[in-house]
Amino acid sequence: MDMDTGKGRYDMDILISDLNKTYDNRDRVIFQGLDARFGTGQVSVILGKSGKGKSSLLNLIAGIDLPDAGHITIGNARVSDMDDTRRTLFRRRHIGFVFQSFNLIPVLTVMENIALVAQIDGKDNTFCRERTLLLLKAVGLEERARDFPDRLSGGEQQRVALARALVNDPDIILADEPTGNLDSRTGADILELLTTQARNLGKTLVMVTHSDDAAAYADHTFTVKDKQLVPGRVR
Amino acid sequence: MRLFPLVRICFRSSRAHPLRTFLLIFGIALGVAGVIAIDIAKTSVSKSFELSTAALTARSSHQITGSGFSLPQSLFTQLRTGPGIAASAPVIIQQVRVAELEDRTLSLMGVDPFSEGRFRDIRVSSGDAADNFSSIMTEADGVLLPRSLALEYGLAAESPLTLVFGERRIRTRIAGLTDDRGTAAGLGGVLFTDIAVAQEMLGMGNRISRIDLKLDGDREIGAVRALLGPGQVLVETDRQNRAIRGLSRSFEASLTAFSILVLFMGIFLIYNTVSFSVSRRRSLNGTIRALGATRKEIFRAVEAEVLVYALAGSCLGVVLGIAMGKGAVQAVCATVSDMYYTLTVSQTHITAGTLIKGVATGLGAALVSSVVPALNAANTRPVTLMQRSASESGLVRYIPVLAGAGVLAIGAAMMIFMSDAAGIPLVFAGVFMVFIGGSLVAPALILWLTRILSAGLALPDRLGVPGRYVVMAGMALRNIRRSLSRTSVLIASLMVVVSVYIGIDTMTASLRLSIIKWVGGHIGGDIHLESTDELNRSLDKDLPERILALDGVRDVSAYNIHRAFSSVSGEVHIFSYIRDLSEKEWTWTTPEAGAGDEAAMNALLEQGWIFVSEIFARANNIVPERDARVVMETRNGPEQFRIAGVFRDFFMGGGRVVVSRDTMAAYWGHEDITAIQVFVDARDDAARAVQINRLMPQVGALFPDRGMVRIRSGLEIKQSILAVFDNTFLITSALQVLTAIVALTGIINSVMALILERSRELGILRACGAVPGQVRQLVLWECGVSGFMAGLLALPLGGFLSWILVDVVNFRSFGWTYEMQISGATLVQALAFSGLAALVAGIVPALRAGRVKVARALRTE
Repeated sequence: MDMDTGKGRYDMDILISDLNKTYDNRDRVIFQGLDARFGTGQVSVILGKSGKGKSSLLNLIAGIDLPDAGHITIGNARVSDMDDTRRTLFRRRHIGFVFQSFNLIPVLTVMENIALVAQIDGKDNTFCRERTLLLLKAVGLEERARDFPDRLSGGEQQRVALARALVNDPDIILADEPTGNLDSRTGADILELLTTQARNLGKTLVMVTHSDDAAAYADHTFTVKDKQLVPGRVR
Repeated sequence: MRLFPLVRICFRSSRAHPLRTFLLIFGIALGVAGVIAIDIAKTSVSKSFELSTAALTARSSHQITGSGFSLPQSLFTQLRTGPGIAASAPVIIQQVRVAELEDRTLSLMGVDPFSEGRFRDIRVSSGDAADNFSSIMTEADGVLLPRSLALEYGLAAESPLTLVFGERRIRTRIAGLTDDRGTAAGLGGVLFTDIAVAQEMLGMGNRISRIDLKLDGDREIGAVRALLGPGQVLVETDRQNRAIRGLSRSFEASLTAFSILVLFMGIFLIYNTVSFSVSRRRSLNGTIRALGATRKEIFRAVEAEVLVYALAGSCLGVVLGIAMGKGAVQAVCATVSDMYYTLTVSQTHITAGTLIKGVATGLGAALVSSVVPALNAANTRPVTLMQRSASESGLVRYIPVLAGAGVLAIGAAMMIFMSDAAGIPLVFAGVFMVFIGGSLVAPALILWLTRILSAGLALPDRLGVPGRYVVMAGMALRNIRRSLSRTSVLIASLMVVVSVYIGIDTMTASLRLSIIKWVGGHIGGDIHLESTDELNRSLDKDLPERILALDGVRDVSAYNIHRAFSSVSGEVHIFSYIRDLSEKEWTWTTPEAGAGDEAAMNALLEQGWIFVSEIFARANNIVPERDARVVMETRNGPEQFRIAGVFRDFFMGGGRVVVSRDTMAAYWGHEDITAIQVFVDARDDAARAVQINRLMPQVGALFPDRGMVRIRSGLEIKQSILAVFDNTFLITSALQVLTAIVALTGIINSVMALILERSRELGILRACGAVPGQVRQLVLWECGVSGFMAGLLALPLGGFLSWILVDVVNFRSFGWTYEMQISGATLVQALAFSGLAALVAGIVPALRAGRVKVARALRTE
């Protein structure tokens, strides 16, 4: 078993056990003894009020932030025990992150934005180009390949962000309010794209949202309540 | 490959902000240009010294010279016939101006054509064809002119040439042209002639200036020594050249200090620009981190970007530096010639070493100064974890540590300054440490100042000043405090520049005041007479009495000045007064003189004691408290003299010595008068001016041949001496301006970046109803307050720097002591300059801030 790379995508469940997380010098407790499991190839949606820790949970899963106690395991890799560099490399290779506010690099074109993560991972040029073109086609933005992000609409920007999240063919997709800045029609398109990726390609999708429309796409829903993740509806 | 996309992001971001990128490149270029220009100036002066001295001393290992720079020619014959020293050559040397070369100063060198072959390779042509040096010199009675000068001034063999010695003009002709190309470049400043012709021109009879020798081993040296009579000295050529070279080292060291300062400001500028650039890209870096870029990759990308810009800036700096260096060479050579040693060759020498040094400095400084910002970039938290205040709270936590480190650095520098053993390079390192220390303490002081000023804002409120003004000032203070990691760098860099302004201004003003006082004491006379015949400076001995008899003359002071050779400090000027009316400022007097009053000192002088200048004392390593005696070369051989007092003096060279008339006659054989000072009888300055104008023609009428005597008013002499000193500081002023430009560039850069960073906040202000004018006002308030604080902090730092420059650097460099006088006007000017500079730097950013698009700014993350 390779701790850095996890294992095959047939077993890339996210397992959270006895997780504690606090902020403000431990004054503000976000999670206490949280346990959860997000299954491979499933669409999991986390619901909850603002400030309850939904985005924090995604940061912890992505290895962007660390728990005070408890473990997060993806596949066979214990993310919460890795040092910063190993966590970063794990994230780069196995996790695609879609942000609410897109966070595209304004100085890169659409194509360059999508290729970025593959390039910094050392993939060769041919792979980067082919993979980017494939994803551009998948998100319907072939015509905008050479445009800079400021020329795109919100929906187009989020589609670029989604393509970027998929460029390294990640096992896990984490989406933080992916439709938060979009109108309902564009939001529906994005959700369709995301869930199709997860179901058809067997990726683990964990999505944080306020939106009931978004929750309708979930195989499982969870709600953050009383510092715990409470399972909800199962499709 | 992995790094490429990150580097591309860095460059694209820079391209989106061309002004800031330009300022970064320009800042590096200015720093590099300063270093290169100074290095070119120093290398060129050094090379000019080498060429000037090498041409004159050539391959000699030793020289025989006289205590008064004169020897009988018979000594040369004795050397050849007695011990049989074949490698010997008689030389006459005299500085001369040439009318046809726009009064350029050259060395006229009289040589024996048959003895020269062992010492100098002189290639000559009488016309087009190359010819033999000895045959031209023996057949012709003219002089040999360097070929480059002949070409420059359109002269050829047989052209007439006018040699000017003071007011005396001698007509001669060009007998041939010397080749001064390539390795013979040193001959570019020398006019050769036959030694007999030189003796005739200079009226030297059968005397010569010196004998060049190539001695092999102690046996030959001993044989030569045995031949020497009283007042004749055998010196090692290398040692003498080193003594001459050492004279201007201190001047060059002060230039180095300034290039360090320019570089220091350059580092500040680079740090500013890179750190702002990084902070501007914080969100972008956060995104890249969230997407999977490691810290190391971001660090390398930032460093790679800086390296490329540093390379571009360094290349631009090389071009700028060469242009500036060419100008500096002329200025530095002129100053060195004025103050230390006449450089007959002043060519610009640009070595590969200088250029490599400049580029390496630019790259090194850029990389070093970008390490902290690059680390900050690498440590950027992923975008999803960002909190805007994170970086600021980080700095506030470290303020006590920074302040402590700053105090330690200043303390360590203080120990260097207090140590007598610390040489000039170490002192400059100390100055650098003071700047670093001051900059590290600055954030703590800024926090403290903003708190005091904020509290002070309650006063205008009580006085009924409209709230809108107080609110803006209050916001400005809070913004300075909130963005401390950026504002402290800005304020600290401005503080350093202003403190340098205070330091340099105080040093030059104090020195100038001391020089005015010294000139007033040294040349107290209202009318000054001296011979302009550089070959015979003696005036009639009965002149003082005849002048004293003129109506309106209150007193007359007469004296002679003669050059004497010192084996330690080279050329020394010895004065002996018939009646000494000058006022001296003693820095030490012997206990034997009691209270050191004039009568007691003069009594010691008459007993054979001597007075020496500070520079002489320093050059001869005299510490009066330990041993107030010195050995000097006299016509009777080396003699020991007791020193009665050391006086303050600003003449450069080997220093000055005052002896009694009897001592001068006994030891150097001079009983003449070479200068007279006339004191007029007048109640006030207006009456004095009238008297001077009336008496000058009457004094002039006492000379049958007026062309050989220069009569000038005391005021004219004082002005000409001050002009020399003012010229010396021209380069200093130019470097000061350069430093200020670098600093201002940095400030504009910083303020611009601060405003860009706060677009969202400014948008909110506008959305809340602030009109563009108010936003502009806020920006200008911030700049003005920052400038004012920088000025306030610069006052103590500037005072400290003044003390370092006056009491440590100047004393150890030049041997001068003078009192530091900090003027209130300088401090007010410094404060005003600081505030105004920051305000001016804030104008463009303020205009941009006023034009901020509210909706767009509100969308900015």
